[in-house]
Amino acid sequence: MLARLNRRLAVWICLLLAAGAASYVPIAKLRTRQPARSLFDVINAQEQHPQPIGGDVVPLRQVSDPYPVFNGIAVDPLNNLVAMSDVNRKSLLTYSRNLEPGRPGITAPRRQIFGPLTNVGFVAGVLLDPGRREVYAINNDIEDTMVVMPYDAQGDIQPLRILSIPHQAWGVALSRSHDQIAITVELQEAVVVYKRDARNVTPPVRYIRGADTGLADPHGIFWDDRHNEIAVANHGNFRGLIKDVGAGCVPAGTAEAGGGAVLPSSITFYSGDSKGDARPLRTIQGSHTQLDFPMGISVDEEREEFAVANNGGNSVLIFSRTAGGDAAPVRVLSGERTGINRPMGVAIDARNQEIWVSNFGDHTALVFDRLAAGNVAPKRIIRTAPEGTPTPGFGNPQTVAYDSTRDQILVPN
Amino acid sequence: MANGNTPPARVITGAATKLSRTVHGIAYDPDHDLIYVPNPLADAVLVFRGNANGDEPPIRVIQGPCTKLVVPHAISLDLEHHEILVASLSSRAIAVFPWDANGNVSPMRYISGPKTRLGHVVGLGVDSATDLMAVANSEQILIFNRTDNGDVAPLAEIGGPHTGIGDEPWELQIYKSRIFLATSNHLHTNVYSGVTLKEGYVKPPEDPWLNPQLGFIGVWNIQDRGDVPPHAIIKGPFSQLLHPTGLALNPKDGELYVTDSIRNGLFTFLAPYFF
Repeated sequence: MLARLNRRLAVWICLLLAAGAASYVPIAKLRTRQPARSLFDVINAQEQHPQPIGGDVVPLRQVSDPYPVFNGIAVDPLNNLVAMSDVNRKSLLTYSRNLEPGRPGITAPRRQIFGPLTNVGFVAGVLLDPGRREVYAINNDIEDTMVVMPYDAQGDIQPLRILSIPHQAWGVALSRSHDQIAITVELQEAVVVYKRDARNVTPPVRYIRGADTGLADPHGIFWDDRHNEIAVANHGNFRGLIKDVGAGCVPAGTAEAGGGAVLPSSITFYSGDSKGDARPLRTIQGSHTQLDFPMGISVDEEREEFAVANNGGNSVLIFSRTAGGDAAPVRVLSGERTGINRPMGVAIDARNQEIWVSNFGDHTALVFDRLAAGNVAPKRIIRTAPEGTPTPGFGNPQTVAYDSTRDQILVPN
Repeated sequence: MANGNTPPARVITGAATKLSRTVHGIAYDPDHDLIYVPNPLADAVLVFRGNANGDEPPIRVIQGPCTKLVVPHAISLDLEHHEILVASLSSRAIAVFPWDANGNVSPMRYISGPKTRLGHVVGLGVDSATDLMAVANSEQILIFNRTDNGDVAPLAEIGGPHTGIGDEPWELQIYKSRIFLATSNHLHTNVYSGVTLKEGYVKPPEDPWLNPQLGFIGVWNIQDRGDVPPHAIIKGPFSQLLHPTGLALNPKDGELYVTDSIRNGLFTFLAPYFF
């Protein structure tokens, strides 16, 4: 019996040893084991794979702002209305201009126009026509259109009119005397003028464009009917116009390089009847002007002044209407108390003696006394988000890079 | 690790930066800690310190008629050969400069001409392992030799219905001989040439909101040829991507960073198996 037990034990021991030998991997081989291949490599090694790896993957993280962020601004004292374009959520908002001061929380708009039918997209400049009760809005990119809505438009509705405009348009101005609108076009260094009620695909009636115009990446625009002048805010980026005939994001054909330049920011004034390569009547440019990425512009035709939303300087600059050269502003609104934060739009309400400012750096529009200066608090604030809500500051982000040194993501706008 | 409605850690902005408000390309050089950004409205390439902040001027500016830059949009860095590749949209050309180029300098190589088939170029990259260059063109990926120069035909293309690449593929990155591409699939119809209306248009083009063709992120091997479906993809309603244009890679953490201009947001996808 003991001998049989010993034999069985011996068999078990041998089996165990055999199993151990099969699973034993010498240390040397462990250290030289091949690294696991990625799933991508495995898939590629197959002759055919019916489905790509990945699919409808939910993002791990998403940086975006759920609240409207203002771009252009316009005020209509006749109808007690102020309108802003919202470049973040792609909407147009209108508010009562005489809101109660100091109301906390999000300000309720009168109307918000938003949705695929509206054609409102990467929206920039905005304009109000009090007589016809119409809102004009410029789509700067992607859509390349101007849309016109009635004052009582709400939600996702089709515009009254759509007009195809050149790529990278920004500001819009109205002349009642000419019954025309003027639009700035950044990339083409131009101002294009249309009949006021132009729609669909209609050529401009004229344009201001050429090396002598001084137009260099134009943005804000205002048509001063009283003096028959058009005022334009220029960022200063300039391309060699004479040889370049590029058509924006669609290649127009080969073009010889004419060379570019980054000029100082400027405000240029033209006759309201200008066309072609017209020289400006006046140019404000230089270090004393404090101009830094000037965006919206608004002229007070009665007081002979104009205001500029000075985006790079976090300020609003007020100049004499007839200033020229390296002129200093007559008043400057800036400072923490003002709440001015990357201003994009400015609108003078001469009837009520107020200045409106739309911020891109936060979720507010501000109202000041017409003659306010320095570091003063606004009279009223319109909010699209709770006070203190941050924003990533995105405006049509089309490229991105990864800074591996700092573990940061770089997003130009 | 930014997530949600979060402010940026720093912002480079102001007149001294010489930036324009239109920027369609950006590249980071980890070897020299530099940021390269085209300014298409001034026909320039700007180079910033990696830690630049506020209204800080660029340390170098490539600009002038000799550069042949005409509305430069896409930029890519060949870190192995220390070169900058810049694609100019309006001139349908690719210019190659040394990494430390500055001022009104001529490119070392310049790919341009009818044989190149270059059209809407807003993405490009170089693969050092194969010495090839991939270019996101109007409706396809074109493959050139890295050192091609002049009016040369591409070696090959990746395009066709099975690729899923429709109109206007955008930013392109290369990692270990794989092409990562942000495919917007949105045709931006420009009704104007300059400020002159083109003939033949009677109504404004369709709004991209109404375009049912979703954009996506696709991955191909640089040796792929013809009508090849992507080997990896991020696409669909849960991805949130409508019109993806920007794309950057973080292989170390297995992440892809995508910007979508219709969504007006930045999306991070975790896909280590793509690398």
